Amino acid sequence: LGNTIILDNGASSLKIGKVDSQISIYPNSIFRSKSERRKNFVSNQIDGCKDYSSLFYVLPFQKGYLVNWDVQRQVWDHVFGKDVLNLKCNESNIVITEPHFNFGSIQEAMNEIFFEEYEFQSILRTNASTLSSHKYNNDNPGEECCVVVDCGYSFTHIVPYHKNVKVSEAVCRIDVGGKLLTNHLKEVISYRQLQVMDETYVMNQVKEDACYVSMDFNGDMETCKLKGKDNIVLRDYVLPDYTQIKRGYIKVGYTTPTKSQEQMIRLTVERFAVPEILFHPSDVGIPQMGLAEAIMHSVSKCSEDTQPHMLRNIVLTGGSCKFLNFKQRLEEDLRRLAPDHLDICLTMPENPVTYACEGGLRWTKTNTIREHWLTLEEYQEGGQAACARQFYDI
Amino acid sequence: AAPRRESSRLLEVNSRRVLDLATRKRRLNRQLEALEKDNFQEDPLENLPDLKKKRPKFGIPSDQEEESETPQPSKKKKRLRSDHFKQRFRKTFAAVIEAERLATEKSDRPNYFTISSLPSKIPPRHFCAVCGFFSTYTCVSCGTRYCSVKCLGTHQDTRCLKWTV
Repeated sequence: LGNTIILDNGASSLKIGKVDSQISIYPNSIFRSKSERRKNFVSNQIDGCKDYSSLFYVLPFQKGYLVNWDVQRQVWDHVFGKDVLNLKCNESNIVITEPHFNFGSIQEAMNEIFFEEYEFQSILRTNASTLSSHKYNNDNPGEECCVVVDCGYSFTHIVPYHKNVKVSEAVCRIDVGGKLLTNHLKEVISYRQLQVMDETYVMNQVKEDACYVSMDFNGDMETCKLKGKDNIVLRDYVLPDYTQIKRGYIKVGYTTPTKSQEQMIRLTVERFAVPEILFHPSDVGIPQMGLAEAIMHSVSKCSEDTQPHMLRNIVLTGGSCKFLNFKQRLEEDLRRLAPDHLDICLTMPENPVTYACEGGLRWTKTNTIREHWLTLEEYQEGGQAACARQFYDI
Repeated sequence: AAPRRESSRLLEVNSRRVLDLATRKRRLNRQLEALEKDNFQEDPLENLPDLKKKRPKFGIPSDQEEESETPQPSKKKKRLRSDHFKQRFRKTFAAVIEAERLATEKSDRPNYFTISSLPSKIPPRHFCAVCGFFSTYTCVSCGTRYCSVKCLGTHQDTRCLKWTV
């Protein structure tokens, strides 16, 4: 068997793992910049861009599903190509991730592209959370169940696993992810202070730098009503201008507004009201359960004897889990909802973004992965039907 | 007869346009759709007509590719195939989801539609659309939430009945 690579194909970034080397992350997008109009920046070419203001995104994914194949092909071509990975596709095997219950037409296109265009030796299509489950079970021998909470860019999936097999009936999706949070932050800041609707890149950084999950929502709301130094939630964020200031940052300490050169936005309720949408989607009018409620609902659909094990093994993955206090708050919310005699235990990996990819790498080293591969010969013989059989229930 | 006494307040209230429930629902959906948008600005390459040729067109097979065709048969085959892909997999999200709806209609297996989270049992909280604090009042005209007279004023001056986002 040749080289094996893991491609966790997210809507916002590709996470690529090669055996015996570091996992790398590349943006899954083509960018256009206001300052360098003649240029298309494909994926990590954006690192060479000097001005991230009004960055224009051309994304292959829409609402979490791969629909713009031309864009995706350009990104893959670039990343597999000589500038980045320099991959010999016809000597490699690839593990690719896709969203749960992906649409048939997208799956067929994937098979076709990976076998006929890139000519991989064999492919393995799976869900990112399945890889996470493998990783979790490997790190925690003795546990047979786990619930993977994948809180990504387009949406959040809650997926219970029993012996690394997805409990399909219990999978639950909340239509809130990092993209919605950034867009919401953009919207409220644009209305209340400064027009930033075009600044997706910058506002995403603001979100990552300044937002946090509140442990006492009502209390923090009260704090925000206080004036001056008593308002300990308030932060001033200096926006980048890409001449002197290359990256935005939080201003240290309380300062009175001055007539300085730098452009600032003042964040108060936005700091915790934005991530709060994950816990209460109804705050913006999305008629769905929040994270804790949805986890309890999902677990309640699993067989009764596995339920205590599920609640004891909840693992948090995906970029939107990285908000400060995310784990503590979810733990608290779950504790309130779960029966008293059951233990609740959450695990936040060191890097929730690459967790699935690490799991994939670990899995390739075991024997259990063998039966899951589909080789090029099998595809040539059985076509799409063979793929559908092999990758059933993905 | 004596002239009818009129209340100026009632006159003003009655002349106010009030959106019905369906319109309010549509507005909410529009707001939620806006939260899914990739960009709000225009494509910076869009307004450069002289560069149109250099710009890779998304979704449309470019004629430039055909012009620069090399006689090498294998390359040609590959290029044709990629055009074939562009044609075959050009579907919008709406089209994909419609196909999925038809495909799963009669199946009782979990799918995109069934795994969507149910509505919460917890009653929704309401926030002032202007300042973000908890709100107790609803704008009579459009149903937007607000928390104080001051915020209502801002709302009426800026957004009430002119929501465009």
